[in-house]
Amino acid sequence: MNRVIRRLAIGLLACYALLFVQLNVWQVGKRAELRANPLNNRESVRQFDAPRGPIVTSDGVVIAQTVEIPKDQRDAGSYAYQREYPTKELFANVSGYYTYAYGATQVEHLYSDVLAGNTPKQQLLAVGSTFNSVDQTGEVQLTLNSDLQKLAQRQLGNREGSAVVLDTRTGAVLAMYSNPTYDPNTVAVHNNDEAGAALEALADAQGKPLLANAYQERYMPGSTFKIITTATGLEAGFISTASEWPDENSWTPPNTKNPIQNYGKKTCGGDMFEVFRRSCNIPFARMSADMGPEVMVNGVKKWGVGEQLPIDLPNAATSTFGGEVADFTDSLALLAIHGFGQGSVQMVPLHMAMVAATVANGGAMMKPYVVAKTLAHNGTELSSTSPEVWRRPISPATAATLNSFMVGVVNNGTAKCCLALAGGVQAAAKTGTAQLNAEGETQRSHAWITAFAPAEAPRVAVAVMLKGVNAQISAGTGGTLAGPVAKVLLDRALKVVPQ
Amino acid sequence: MANTVSPLAVARRRSELGLVLLAAFITGAAYVLASLGKNASLPARIGPFLVSLLVLLVCAHIGVRKFAPGASPLLLPLATLLHGIGYVMIARLSDRLAGLQATWSLIAVACFIAVLVALPRVADLLRYQYTFLFVGVFLQLLPLVPGVGFSSGGARIWVSIGPINFQPGEFAKLCLAIFFAGYLSEQREVLSSGGKRIAGVQLPEMRTFLPVMLAWGVSVVVMVAEKDLGSSLLFFTLFVVLLWVATERSGYIVFGGGLFVLGAFIAYNMFGHVRDRFAIWLDPWSQYNGKGYQIVQGMFGFAEGGISGTGLGLGDPTRIPAVKNDFIFAAIGEELGLFGATAVLAAFVFIIGSGLRTAIRTDNAFEKLLAVGLTTILGVQAFIILAGVLRVLPLTGVTLPFMSYGGSSLVSNYMLLALLIAISHSSARRLHEVPQ
Repeated sequence: MNRVIRRLAIGLLACYALLFVQLNVWQVGKRAELRANPLNNRESVRQFDAPRGPIVTSDGVVIAQTVEIPKDQRDAGSYAYQREYPTKELFANVSGYYTYAYGATQVEHLYSDVLAGNTPKQQLLAVGSTFNSVDQTGEVQLTLNSDLQKLAQRQLGNREGSAVVLDTRTGAVLAMYSNPTYDPNTVAVHNNDEAGAALEALADAQGKPLLANAYQERYMPGSTFKIITTATGLEAGFISTASEWPDENSWTPPNTKNPIQNYGKKTCGGDMFEVFRRSCNIPFARMSADMGPEVMVNGVKKWGVGEQLPIDLPNAATSTFGGEVADFTDSLALLAIHGFGQGSVQMVPLHMAMVAATVANGGAMMKPYVVAKTLAHNGTELSSTSPEVWRRPISPATAATLNSFMVGVVNNGTAKCCLALAGGVQAAAKTGTAQLNAEGETQRSHAWITAFAPAEAPRVAVAVMLKGVNAQISAGTGGTLAGPVAKVLLDRALKVVPQ
Repeated sequence: MANTVSPLAVARRRSELGLVLLAAFITGAAYVLASLGKNASLPARIGPFLVSLLVLLVCAHIGVRKFAPGASPLLLPLATLLHGIGYVMIARLSDRLAGLQATWSLIAVACFIAVLVALPRVADLLRYQYTFLFVGVFLQLLPLVPGVGFSSGGARIWVSIGPINFQPGEFAKLCLAIFFAGYLSEQREVLSSGGKRIAGVQLPEMRTFLPVMLAWGVSVVVMVAEKDLGSSLLFFTLFVVLLWVATERSGYIVFGGGLFVLGAFIAYNMFGHVRDRFAIWLDPWSQYNGKGYQIVQGMFGFAEGGISGTGLGLGDPTRIPAVKNDFIFAAIGEELGLFGATAVLAAFVFIIGSGLRTAIRTDNAFEKLLAVGLTTILGVQAFIILAGVLRVLPLTGVTLPFMSYGGSSLVSNYMLLALLIAISHSSARRLHEVPQ
């Protein structure tokens, strides 16, 4: 029988050799293929279910953090970590959300590697700690101030619209809030179906709450656009502080029968200072038609209109003048209308704040940014943002002239009602009431203001835009509706930004 | 007289003690590493764990030293190594199961020693072969008894008596192996010579062949009724192997192979769950969200482990269904890598080697066949589940000896080990390597 037992031994050995071969197939031969299989989410879950650093405001308020779920509260096989947004809706537009199945947005998306600790610098810092797993996660520090942001939220109240506050000298975003928004906690739930349903509902909701309207949407700017028209005229030498405009209530551009009127069908005219502070429409229409398509379109482009805004957040919107040179060549009337911010001109609220900040900053338009710096877990600085000039659309002299025009708007113009800052600080501003309805239809308008302060040595700029979604807002003007919001924000911002 | 100490026995027991301590060291180290990997802290009650681990293994060793001093020094250390790695993996998967498995480990080692104590001469079992036949068939049928047996995980192989749930099939295997070995050792002359010749194949004498055939047939049919495919396959293999070894006629292998193909064909056509197993084996991907999920997750686990593994406590094996019993090898592949999984395969190969060497060394036909039978049970059962997990064969759920979670399996395998060790010792005595 021993002979047969030896054969049996060989047979069994062959069976186990077969197992060994197959083990090599799975663990070595087809390893890469199996790990790359789309059904295999081990790697992605491991990356998702890990510690992740916080996002913090400039005044130290945590707006996104990851907490470990206590062991006794976890279901078998469920995640150990939960991403939380303690400030709920307040910073949703900046932080974005972080999900397993639906990716991440905003800072959560752009700075994911830093937060998760996957940048080469962070991994180098963790070298040599193989046996005691060191927390590699990073922290993102924002330029935004939580008090200012809360103020923007409270000032907008339940009105749809956006508010942006900038540091004029650096481009740092101090506040950026828009209504409607959403609570990222509802999206960051672990259950993929639940998260998907929440996202779908938000995507379908009125007012696009998932979009950061302040920098991802654009709206008709109305008279706030006159800053750019005036700047273009001054730069091109078509107008000067001495330019005079006739007192009139109606003007019909060349080759058209439709007359242009001033806001409220008023009679309006005078020198540049006067027509700017009263926001007459006809002088700016005439100015644009006089300059012609080439000068006007190129002048507007210098401000970055037609280019994606260079903010350090994903999917920024692009402002538009509503046409190229050729589009206006045969239609000076259209150019005239666009010249005072009507027609198909559209500006991003953030961009409008940048326009005021450029005037304030002597003509240098700074790149806006929300991330001040990133830190490793041990406090080592990984990166910090240095202010950068994006473009210089106007000379310091033009900027000074525009500054004086905008001071007039506050002291004796369309913003007189509402921009007397605390402590007698002088503000400079331009209002806008963008008429959305055609002649004869129900009045519908966006209310705009863009302003900076102090006028003599500017530090902060603001843009406030209230969407004309209801009769209440449509009945008001940029000065009366957006002005008070801007005042409160400027007052507080001046306390936040030191001299 | 019997107390004269043989130098060979002392040498063997010394090797065994060294190897058992090595297995204990590996287990203890793995236990600490798994806890560090999973919780980044030392395990709670590490002291009591190490002490009870050591006490348990040394007790098993003392049992062998006292009652089977001439036995092979490899069997116990290999089994304890597999047991230890399996336990660490179970403890890493679930704290609750770890406590239960620890209790079962205690009972298993106690039963191991009890078998050694109760069996001074293995050959005595020959007299009780029919008793074992009846007990074996009874145990086999028990899960089918209404009110006592119940189904779990699709197979009706469980029995619940009072507070205790167990799988009588795990013990039935041992009983039937004893019966087969006894019967075949007595009838092998008749079986290998007699009978008619049909188409060049010498058929055995039907009168002697029938009882074995019947016992086997009943068991296989019962297991099919219990939907316990793995055990049916194991049982069938055991029977064919023993016939082959007993008669030394390769015809039985051919005959058995043919019968197997026939049986598989019938089962495939008769039972939906058999067809399912086949379909999943050939293409688990198309049923990823259903029955293929487990096998695909197992493959992902092996792939994740790669050559060196993710490290104990650092993988994600809990996403594989039934990872604590049938699929424990996938968890080992994931966290210990190709190295660890190969070590487990090697340990099984060495156990099989030692078992068959034991069979070769003894000149008692019953002991020889019993050793072959027990080794076959162990080796083939491990092969069936490993092959299922690795997709070498369709998956049929049986436990991985010594490693899977489960009391019945652990206890019966330790009893099987004790029988092998007893045979090993008795052949050493017969060869006068140790005093009679």
